[in-house]
This record gives sequence, structure tokens and C-alpha cells, in this order.
Amino acid sequence: MFSISSEAKVGIFVLIGLIILAYMSFQVGQRGFGLKKGYSVDVFFNNVAGLERDASVQIAGVEIGRVESIALKDGKALVTLRIGKDIKLARDVKAAIKTHGILGDKYIELVPGKDEEIYIHEGGRIINVESQADLDRLLNQLAFIADDIKKVTGALSSVLAGDEGEASIKDILENSRQLTRNLNTVVKSNEATLRAVLENTRQLTENLNNVVTKNDEKMAQTIENLRGASEQMEKTFASLNDITESIKKGEGTAGRLIKDKDMAVKLDQAIDSLRDVTDKINQGKGTIGKLINDEETVNNLNEGLTGLSRYINKAEQFRTFLSYRGEYLFDSSEAKNYLDIKIQPKQDKFYIVGLVSDPQGKKTIRDTTVAGVTTRTEEWDRDGLLFNAQIGKRYKDIVIRGGLLESTGGVGLDYFALNDKLKFTFEAFDFSADEKTHLKAAAEYQLFKHLYLSFGWDDFISDKGQESPYAGISIRFEDDDLKYLLTTTPIPK
Amino acid sequence: MIELIDIHKSFKKNKVLNGLNLKIDSGLITVIIGRSGGGKSVLLKHIIGLLKPDRGRVLIDDTDITRLNDRDLNTIRKKFGMLFQEAALFDSMTVKENVAFPLREHAKMSEVEISRVVAEKLKSVGLTGIEDKMPSELSGGMRKRVGLARAIALQPEIVLFDEPTTGLDPVMTEAINQLIVDTQKNLNATCVVISHDLESIFKISHKIAMLYDGDIIEYGTPDEIRASKNPVIEQFLSGSIEGPIKII
Amino acid sequence: MNRAAVAIDQLGRTVLEYVEEMGKIALLFLSVLRWMFQPPLKSHLIFKQMEFVGNKSIFVVVLTGAFTGMVMALQGYYGFKMFSAESMVGSVVALGMTRELGPVLTSLMVTARAGSAMAAELGTMRVTEQIDALSVMAANPVKHLIVPRVIAGVLMLPLLTVVSDFMGILGGYFVGVHLLHINSGIFVKNITTIVDLDDLYNGLVKAAVFGLILSLIGCYKGFNTRGGAEGVGKATTEAVVLSSITILISDYFLTAIMF
Ligand SMILES: Nc1ncnc2c1ncn2[C@@H]1O[C@H](COP(=O)(O)OP(=O)(O)OP(=O)(O)O)[C@@H](O)[C@H]1O
Ligand SMILES: [Mg+2]
Repeated sequence: MFSISSEAKVGIFVLIGLIILAYMSFQVGQRGFGLKKGYSVDVFFNNVAGLERDASVQIAGVEIGRVESIALKDGKALVTLRIGKDIKLARDVKAAIKTHGILGDKYIELVPGKDEEIYIHEGGRIINVESQADLDRLLNQLAFIADDIKKVTGALSSVLAGDEGEASIKDILENSRQLTRNLNTVVKSNEATLRAVLENTRQLTENLNNVVTKNDEKMAQTIENLRGASEQMEKTFASLNDITESIKKGEGTAGRLIKDKDMAVKLDQAIDSLRDVTDKINQGKGTIGKLINDEETVNNLNEGLTGLSRYINKAEQFRTFLSYRGEYLFDSSEAKNYLDIKIQPKQDKFYIVGLVSDPQGKKTIRDTTVAGVTTRTEEWDRDGLLFNAQIGKRYKDIVIRGGLLESTGGVGLDYFALNDKLKFTFEAFDFSADEKTHLKAAAEYQLFKHLYLSFGWDDFISDKGQESPYAGISIRFEDDDLKYLLTTTPIPK
Repeated sequence: MIELIDIHKSFKKNKVLNGLNLKIDSGLITVIIGRSGGGKSVLLKHIIGLLKPDRGRVLIDDTDITRLNDRDLNTIRKKFGMLFQEAALFDSMTVKENVAFPLREHAKMSEVEISRVVAEKLKSVGLTGIEDKMPSELSGGMRKRVGLARAIALQPEIVLFDEPTTGLDPVMTEAINQLIVDTQKNLNATCVVISHDLESIFKISHKIAMLYDGDIIEYGTPDEIRASKNPVIEQFLSGSIEGPIKII
Repeated sequence: MNRAAVAIDQLGRTVLEYVEEMGKIALLFLSVLRWMFQPPLKSHLIFKQMEFVGNKSIFVVVLTGAFTGMVMALQGYYGFKMFSAESMVGSVVALGMTRELGPVLTSLMVTARAGSAMAAELGTMRVTEQIDALSVMAANPVKHLIVPRVIAGVLMLPLLTVVSDFMGILGGYFVGVHLLHINSGIFVKNITTIVDLDDLYNGLVKAAVFGLILSLIGCYKGFNTRGGAEGVGKATTEAVVLSSITILISDYFLTAIMF
């Protein structure tokens, strides 16, 4: 009968598996197909927030490359694109960051240039960059305005609260009573006009809102207008400043000023619109408002602060560690297991209690006296657990500890290096008279946060053939760490 | 020489060996007898280091094997051949592969040589033409003989037989007895045999050791054993129900 | 001792036993590593195990993979239909198969098929003294029995997972395109744009880790069997349960690390 060997069957399966794997890799990796060989081009953007590596680069919606890397250079974002080798980019090609899809993925849109004489080559640079509707600049502008407002209100409050201001306040109050009376008449006579003005303002702010939230194309233009407006406003505030300065000087100008009907009306209007602005800010409307009232910012700040204080506390706190260590003795092919709890009330002092399971077992020595002759017998209890109970103190990089080691008296010395990542240990215990002291030397290295690898030599002057090199793994948690591990393991996406 | 000194062994609460001492001389056939469940197989496993004593030492040519590491123990084990009570054939391998196993592991032989040695060893235990059978296709007696062939394949210095003739017909029993005697003579091997078959025992043994109550209570030549006045041995040899050995 | 003390004592013992068992498995792994690099490698034993773990599992893996993909397509379809996004079904099937279901289901199937067999086989060898016989013949049982199985597990699981991923996507394609009439071009296009090479390869890394887990635990349980046929049965059950749990738990952590 025709039979195929295991080797051949396995070979066929491996071959089929690899073919399927290659096919799937090819299909899935197809997006980047041919791009590896393409050429790279640099673009500087002011802001690439949301753009990821490997994001698509498109012309007219057709993918022609990928974002290879994003780096910071001279305060700007340097984005390196890898463009398919068949694509030619004219020198005046224009780059912009756009958003698409329900998920709002960012990609780079290139608008082909007209200068078909010169193309960009490997390592070249796209100079035409369509700046994003620059929300940040708007924010900056508004921050300046907020500063000014603060100055004005600050000045006002100092005027109103000051000792010397009291008299003038009385004056002002008296004046304002007159003023409001006058104002009333003014308002009554000009009611229609005022209403129209208010309506206009409302519409204006509405439009502004629309513009900001929709982030539509005219944004840039609006910003330009806004900048003009804010400059204007700045000037207004400057003059307001002047006014309050002079009020402060207490030259009685205030009274005069306020008696001037026209001026009074203007001031009132200014104050009203100011209140409007601050109200909106308070309600979280508009960008500044958002910024100030944004819970996330506050939360972030809070978190930062609590994190810091926790960190500071932790250093001073009482700490406990839980560790497990397994040591595989090469010569006897057996394993020793250690389970320890380390309590560290102060940075340089600790206690260890723990259990050891030793394949060698626990030794008990019995003296039996028969007819005046004493015989000493050793018994090995293989199921017995041994105990660790030690006290230790740390001086810089050296730890000295002593107490019960594997259920006998002993001492240990640790030396730490590489920021405590590497530990050399020497232990001596079991000083019983009838056999050589149990000596043990080891080096332990911290592989990951909680995982340590060790190599050592156990009982290396044994006269009973128990010496053996060993390799061990240990896992060590701080009780806090355990808590963290349980609560902060990232939830897979 | 095999020397067991003050061996204690218990499984949980069951004390099987209790301070046992025994010296087995080289180049002789030593038979261990004792009641069923008395610890004979356990004793044999101590000799080859499969079980470690709770207390005591096992010396093979003056080396204490209870304290050896894997590597050194394996070096010593290469001197040994062992037949398990239940044969312990690898049931994923054919008869031929079973017998060839020690050869492939430790002897550098060509395929042709291996086939020849396997056929020869099988023939010496009275089996031919079953090389390609699987152990599950064999009878109990046949399996035991394949196990025997495997145990002596490497011509070991020390051979341990755990009940080699139990379950064989009288003719086959005689043939296996002869094989043990021949093996001992040809290789000048040390043979330790566990057996319940009194007739065979007196025929082939140079020394007999009686295991009772976790210790060797009598050790001597067949004649000395036969002449022993120890009531346990008298009862064991006569097979009577009355006596110090209690059935329950 | 009063009851509470006994209970606490028992609890302590159980925890210690569990920790000790994990430690023993880890040490068995070390010993496997040690013997793996000691020539001569028993290549015929390795191939035999690879055939057993790999080739002989193809059928179950193909079946579970295909039906899983089909079910996902069907379920996904009803979900996405609510948003008129039926064409996303393909990418969900592909992503689910490559990242999670391919490796996990394959490993669970192989645990049931081969992990249990490893425990049963080694368990039987243990109780019929075949492992002792190996030791007696100065042949290291870890090298002869466990190393080939672990190598086979680590190598074959990724391959089986490739098959499972592929069959799952094929099953999803069949249901999506032929039964639910999603446009085939868009179906495939969505798969290739959403699934990354990393998704595929990370899934295979997972599968290799699971292969290690199931073979190591199967061997460990078999190797330490005590007490006759009943013991073999117990070892087999324990091997399947412990492997499955460990695979699912480590899957969570692997996912957290990799994706
Ligand atoms: N691995 C083991 N675990 C627990 N108990 C064991 C083990 N091996 C043997 N025993 C116990 O040790 C005792 C001696 O067993 P052993 O097999 O040595 O008997 P034996 O003298 O060979 O008997 P037989 O002549 O029937 O083969 C028995 O009570 C048995 O239950
Ligand atoms: Mg027996």
C-alpha cells in the first residue's frame, strides 16, 4: 500500500498554510502595495492634530501615498509623505489636511499644481500649504481680549473700592440717578432705534456662533474681519482705560463726564455689551467660555495634581510587597519555591516573612540515647515547608538582613546596581556543626516591571553533593500595584 | 556491588520499607522473595533510582545514587537493564522499535545491525516474526518476554527482573530461567530477580533474600534458606495458611 | 482548631498549591527549553506530533472557522442593516477572525482534540510505568515526550489559525455575498482597507502562545498523573479545563498588550 510519511504530510500542510498566509498578507497589505518603492516628500503644517501615521494621501479622492512619519521641527509639524512612484507632483502642488468618513479620519489632500515643468523629487518639499481654518489663532485673539477686559474691570474695581473713591462714588450715584432719569427719557424717545440696535447685535452674535461652530469655508475671512474688529475693540478698551485712569485720579471728571449725555449713553452701551460677553463666557458659550468651563481641562488638572500628591505620599508610606520565586536546580532537576511577604515601614528598613518549599525537605535532628550511647539521626521530611523570617536594613546600595532563612538562622547580603534593576545576593545559613554552612550566591535582574530572572549557585560548598546551579523566575508585586493591576489594565479596543 | 543501607520509604501513611539493609554481590543471581504487596517492586525501583528513599542510602559500586544529579544518574543507569512487572512496553511503538530503543539511544549501530540484534534478542526469549506487531496485539506472556528482550538488549552489567516468569507456561518458564542463568554467565552480570515461583528460585539462585515487614529478615544461599528455622520463612516456603504471616 | 481556622488553613493551602502548580509548569517550561537545545533533536518524534496536532486537526478547524465566519456575517448583517452599513460586514468578520476568534477558537478546538490526548497519552504512560522505563533506559522523558509536543504546539497552532482565519472569511463571504447579496467588490474592499497586516500577524503570535500553553499544560497534567485509569481521566479533564481557562485569560492580556 502506498503510504506517506509524517514528514511529508506535515510538509504539505505547512506549504498550504504558508500559501494561504501569503495570499492573505498580500490582500490585506495591498493598500501599501508599491508604495515601499515610492519616493518621500516633506510638508510643513502649522497643526496636524488628528493626523496619524499611515494616513492616506489623496489626489481627487484617489489614494496615491501614505503619511510615513510626523515629527516636530522648529515648532512646526514636519510630515513626511511616501508617494507612489508613478505619481508625479508638480512643484506648485498644494497640500491640505482634510477630514472624511463617519469616524472623522484625517487625511492629506493634494491639489495638483499647474507648473508641469518642474516636478518634486525624492526628499523634496511641498511649499504650498493650505492653512487649516485656524481655530487656535482665533483663540489667541480672544485671550488678548479677555486680558483687556480683566484690566478694565480691575481698574474699575480699584476705583470703586478705594477710600478716596467713596466720595466720588456718592457723586457717581447721585449722578447716575440723574443719569438714569435722563436715560429714561432718552430711551423713551429713542426706543425704536435702541431696539433695532439690540436686534442687530443679537443677529451678529448668532451669526458669529454659526460661523464658529460650523467651521465653514468663510471662516478665514471671518477671522480676518474679527481681527479687524478686535483691533478696533482693543482701541476702544485702550480709551476706556484712559477714561478709568482719569476717574481714578479723582479729578471730578467723572461727574462731568457722566453729565455729558452722549458719553453716558455710550458708556452704558459699552458696559451692557461687556456684561453680555461675560454672561456668555459664564454659560460656556463661545470659545473662551468653552475653554474656561471645559470640564476636561479641569479634570486633567485635577488628575495631575492628585497624581503628584499620591506620588509624594507613596514615597513616605508604609509599603508591602508580595513575591513568588521558583528556582530550578539544574543538577537535581528539582524546584525550590519561595513565597514571601516583605513589609517596608520605612525606605531603608524591612521585614520579610515567607514560606519555602524545598525538594530536599526539612531536616530534623534527633538525639536518641540508648544505654548511655547517644546517636544522632537526621530526618528529611520532603513534604515539609520551611520558613523565612528576616529583618533587614539598607545602606545606599547595600542591604544587610538576617533572621530565619529556610528555617535555620542565617544572614544575607544584597548589593544593588543599575538603579536597583540588578541585584547580587549572598546568603549564609544552616550553621549546624555537623555539616558545612549552606551558602548561596545569586544575581537577579529585573526583566519587566514585575518579572525577575535569576541565576545562582545553591549550597556551593556542600559536602553532601547538594550544590547546584539554578535558574529562577520571580514575580513581585507591591500591594498597591496589585490594586492598580486590577483596575487599570487597559480594556482592549 | 549493590548496597542498600537503612532504607525507609513510605507512601503517605503506608510504611513500605522500614530500615532495610541489603548487600547484593556482583556476578551472582540474587532472588528477592516476599509476600505480595510487601514492597519487592518498590525495593527494585530504589536500586535503579526510580524512587528515592525517605531516609537511607543506595550505593552502586560505592556511589550514593540518591544524591546524584540527572546527568550522573543517567551515566550509572546505562549499566542497568530492567524488566518491569507489567513489561512497560511503549505502546506507541512496534515490538522492534521497543527492543531497538536502548540500542538507538546509546549504541551507535547501523540499521542492519540493529535489526540483527533485535531479531537475536527476540529469538532468545522464544519470539520470532513479531517485530512489526504493536504491544497491544500481544498476550501478557509475550509482552513480558519482549520486555525481557529490551532489558538485555544492551548487555547490561546489572539486570533487574521483576517477576520474569509469572504468567508463562512451564516450558516457557524453564526457558526464561535458562536465559537468566545464561545472561549471568555470558555477561558475568549481576542479576536481581523478584519471583514467586519457588521451584525456579531454588534452581537458578545463588542467594535468596526474604523481605518481610519492610526489612530483609533472612539472606543466604538456597540451602541456608531451606534450612532456616525462622517461622516466617518456614510458613512462606510451605505455603501454609497457619503461621505468623497473616492473610488479613 | 476551630472551623474558621481550618477553613483559612485550607484556603491558604489551596492558594499555595495553585501558585506552586503555576511555578511547576513554568519550571517545566524552563526544562523544556533546556532540553530543546540539547542535540540530538528527535525529529521523527517532532514530525509525528506535528502531524497529530496539525494535520489531524485541519478538519475541525476548517469546520469551526467556516461556521464562525458565517454566523458573524449573519449577525453583523442584522446589526449593520440598522445603519445601512451592510457592506461593513466583511471587515467585521475579517477583523474578528484574525484578531480574536481565529486564534482562540482554534486553540480551544486543539486543546479539546490534542491537549487532552497529550494528557491522556502521557498519563497512561505514567501509570503503566512507560515513563519509568524511559528513565531506566537513561532517556530523558522531558526530551522524548514533552519537547516534541511543545514544539509541535507552538509551530502548528499559527498554521491552523491561518486556515481558520481564511475559512472564516470565506464563510463570511459566502453568507454575505451569496445569501445576503452584499456587493462582492465592496465586501472585499472593506476587508482589505480595514484589516491590517498587524491584525493578522498579532493573531498568529497569540496562536503560538496558546499552542505553548495547551501543549505545556497537557504534558504537565499527563506527566504528573497518579493512580490508574481514574487518574488518567482526571488528568485529561484537568488539562482541558486549565488550558482553556489559561488561554482565555492570557488572551485578554495579550490583546491588551498587542492592540
Ligand atoms: N507509586 C506508589 N504510590 C503509592 N503506593 C505505592 C506505590 N508503589 C507501591 N506502593 C505501595 O507499596 C506497597 C508495596 O508495593 P510493591 O509493588 O512493592 O509490592 P510487591 O512486593 O512488588 O507485590 P507483588 O508481589 O504483588 O508485585 C503496596 O502496598 C503498594 O500499595
Ligand atoms: Mg511487584
